[in-house]
Amino acid sequence: MRNSTLIIFLIAILICALSVISIFSSTYQRESEAWQNIYQRQLLWIFLGAALFFFLSNINYRRFWDWTYFLYIISLFFLLLVFLLGAVRLGAQRWLRIGWFNFQPSEFAKLCMVIFLARYFSSKDTVSVSLSPEKLGIFRALILPLFFVAIPVGLIIEQPDLGTGLIILFLFISVIYLANIKLRHVLSFVTLILLIMPFAWHFLRDYQKDRLMVFLNPNIDPLGAGYTVIQSKIAIGSGGFFGKGWLSGTQSQLRFLPEAHTDFIFATFSEEWGLLGGIVLLLLYYLLIRQGFLIAQRTRDHFGRLLALGISLMLSMQVIINIAMNMGFAPIVGITLPLMSYGGSSVFVTFIALGILANIDKTRSVF
Amino acid sequence: MIRIKILICFLTAMFFLLIVGLFNLEIIHGRNFKGIGDKNCIRLLSQRGSRGRIIDRNGLVIAGNKISYDLMFVPQEYASQDELIFSVSRILGKDDKGFSAALKKTYPVSSMPVSLARNLKLKEAIALGQLKADFPYITIQDNPVRAYPNSNLACHILGYLGEIDRWRLTKLEDYGYKTKDIVGFGGVEEKYDYYLRDEEGGISFQVDHRGRLVRTLGFKPPVDGKDIQLTLDIRIQKIAESALGERKGAVIIMNPYTGEVVALASSPRFNPEAFVDKDNVMVSRLFKDPASPLVNRAISGLYPAGSVFKLVVATAALENKKINQHTSLLCQGSLMVGRQDFKCWDTHGQQNIISAIAHSCNVFFYRLGLLVGAQAIHDYALKLGFSHLTGFDLPYEKQGFIPSPLLKKINTLKKWFDGDTANLSIGQGEVLVTPLQVARMMAIFANGGYLVTPYITKSIAGKDLSRYRKKPEKINLRPETISIIREGLRGTVNNQGGTGHVLSAAGVTVAGKTGTAQSPPRQSHAWFSGFFPFKEPKFVICVLLEHGGPGYNSCLIAKKIIEEMLAEGLI
Repeated sequence: MRNSTLIIFLIAILICALSVISIFSSTYQRESEAWQNIYQRQLLWIFLGAALFFFLSNINYRRFWDWTYFLYIISLFFLLLVFLLGAVRLGAQRWLRIGWFNFQPSEFAKLCMVIFLARYFSSKDTVSVSLSPEKLGIFRALILPLFFVAIPVGLIIEQPDLGTGLIILFLFISVIYLANIKLRHVLSFVTLILLIMPFAWHFLRDYQKDRLMVFLNPNIDPLGAGYTVIQSKIAIGSGGFFGKGWLSGTQSQLRFLPEAHTDFIFATFSEEWGLLGGIVLLLLYYLLIRQGFLIAQRTRDHFGRLLALGISLMLSMQVIINIAMNMGFAPIVGITLPLMSYGGSSVFVTFIALGILANIDKTRSVF
Repeated sequence: MIRIKILICFLTAMFFLLIVGLFNLEIIHGRNFKGIGDKNCIRLLSQRGSRGRIIDRNGLVIAGNKISYDLMFVPQEYASQDELIFSVSRILGKDDKGFSAALKKTYPVSSMPVSLARNLKLKEAIALGQLKADFPYITIQDNPVRAYPNSNLACHILGYLGEIDRWRLTKLEDYGYKTKDIVGFGGVEEKYDYYLRDEEGGISFQVDHRGRLVRTLGFKPPVDGKDIQLTLDIRIQKIAESALGERKGAVIIMNPYTGEVVALASSPRFNPEAFVDKDNVMVSRLFKDPASPLVNRAISGLYPAGSVFKLVVATAALENKKINQHTSLLCQGSLMVGRQDFKCWDTHGQQNIISAIAHSCNVFFYRLGLLVGAQAIHDYALKLGFSHLTGFDLPYEKQGFIPSPLLKKINTLKKWFDGDTANLSIGQGEVLVTPLQVARMMAIFANGGYLVTPYITKSIAGKDLSRYRKKPEKINLRPETISIIREGLRGTVNNQGGTGHVLSAAGVTVAGKTGTAQSPPRQSHAWFSGFFPFKEPKFVICVLLEHGGPGYNSCLIAKKIIEEMLAEGLI
């Protein structure tokens, strides 16, 4: 086992440990047995996720190059399937029931998009056999990949899952930037997005508008859309330096805080472990993401590098946006905290991504 | 590669910002959020004790407690709210709009039970209790509230209860008073509110996000307020109040040796129930009434003293040895002082001090006053307890005013004339006194020269207060002075031409002084103050009728009171 694989795995397992104790704490006061045992299911996801991690860390990542279009089609297929058969939960149609497992295709699609973008921008010029994105014209650098990305993004936003859709959009921007396409293309695209934003407002669902409004001022609707932000800030704020101690958080356990074990698990964790715990967790995430970027910088293969960058970016965006929204610095969008939030899809996809990352570093030396 | 480095720097900065944000939330604003967090999940369900009772000297209850029933309801349960309102309004026979409004107001508080209707009768409470089958989330809570078994008896002594106002709250916050507390206004209820008030108890418990109980954190039983025993005798109070009837005025009956007040009536009266029932129409009428029924006229009413004040002049003259028992002065019906003619109400001829008091001769006292001098009259008035507070233990006592040459100069920059002295001598002009001050002065002649401090509180929670009371103070009047004035006071009643002769038929030997205080353009105030029995006085009485005509009218009331007290064997 290589050094970086071990480091990534250890950090991930540490975060998972914090996840399990937080999920246990946030649900152990619930009435029903099923709720109280939810941490056991998370343990199972983590176990399976770890297996996936080792499995993927031994699969040559170059194979994803070949599978890219297949994966792209598969993810589109699942996203469409959600519209037909999806389970409606929390007002959104994001889940597919497969046996006893609720599969969230948007998580899977997110990873597929990373692979797709990595492949697209690492394809070589057929004439000069050299890396070409720098020379690409606006159509091939921007419009064509945007077209491919826009299809799943549109489907995901329509679920509605604005958070994941936006993450993919941000990933797209970051990857075209990192792929060394002309800066003026990147900038013109960003400008275009900014210009479209006011019009996009009209296409948002009412609850999404509410969430954006309460993000600007949570107090306009303290019992409605603003409730979660306020409760989450109270939970984090009341933790203090050392926190209230494990199993002693009142906000999360007494269910003032909604979604205390999924999207708002950071608030649950912070209430009980305080600033100290929060800093430790942030440090773990930082080290994990740093590993990703180090691997990317070590990798010479263009596809490998872009893939490593995309995965690291995907993780860091989720971490930053989720924690910022827990603290009220970002509007509430349904984005999970990787490895911390309860949920099989999220855990699996994160472990798969980390597995690919580990393999990139392992395979690097083969070249 | 540069682009990667820029991106890494950017992400690192973001992580750093997150830590700064955490620090801001948890350390800088942590205490604040902790408070909010606790408030989120800790609830207090208060339980009230009963307010201390106010009882009379024989242990009879003047202000007690009764159980009132409140209809409480937990607003988080909304399912059948309209039906509930409909049923409740049908049982209580009230419009359901009021309930809907009350309900709307309480909506955001959630989870804590709120009251839908207060002060229900037992019958209504039982009827509403039946609703529990259909609406399990309502409860009928019993609360002790003030009850007045004797209706408006002694209302001015008691005062009334109401929600604490802003001014009192700022003053009393440090003593544990909170907004919406019920406190006393006026009378014993205000003065001894701190002892009367119950200590709120309650259960504190932890609730979850829907207000459901998680666990009980603590229980503190409520503590009832302390009972206060007054020196008041309900029987005498009843006699005094019924004698006064609806006429404006005040009656005070007091023990001349100790100053303990056994009856203190003021009229018009108010019914303190109105404040308990929150009968807003009634309450606002009380506040707007031009007859000011909320004012305790016995201690807060200021009136010109009239002829009652002649006793002060007589004391000053006798003490300064300007005259003696035998000195006689001539009354021809009027006296020229300066350029003004001062009238007497009759022509009395030659008389000495005793008959001048008995007949209340104005001219005699004009002459005497000029002999003694205004400053001496002022000084003796102060010595006899006027122009300062008596130290009575009810709030809002007024101190009154006695003019003097010096004070006139200070206040108005005008010179004092002999005419002012003449006016002062018969208690007119700027003289203002309270009935309690007059009764206290009369007590001096009844008890042989002691200035007492009147009081009405006998004990608090069974603990006698006499240790903390000011002892009667000897004011060094010569025994002859007192006995001469007592003769005069007795003459008022006993002599054929005495102004209070009507009282000679009262059944006990009464001595006293009448007063008819002019207050143009309206009718004069009628005074009578005296003591009985003459030899060994048991009671001092002071009757004032505001704009009640001549002093004779007050004598009639005094007579009625004394006769009834005699009939009930209270003397």
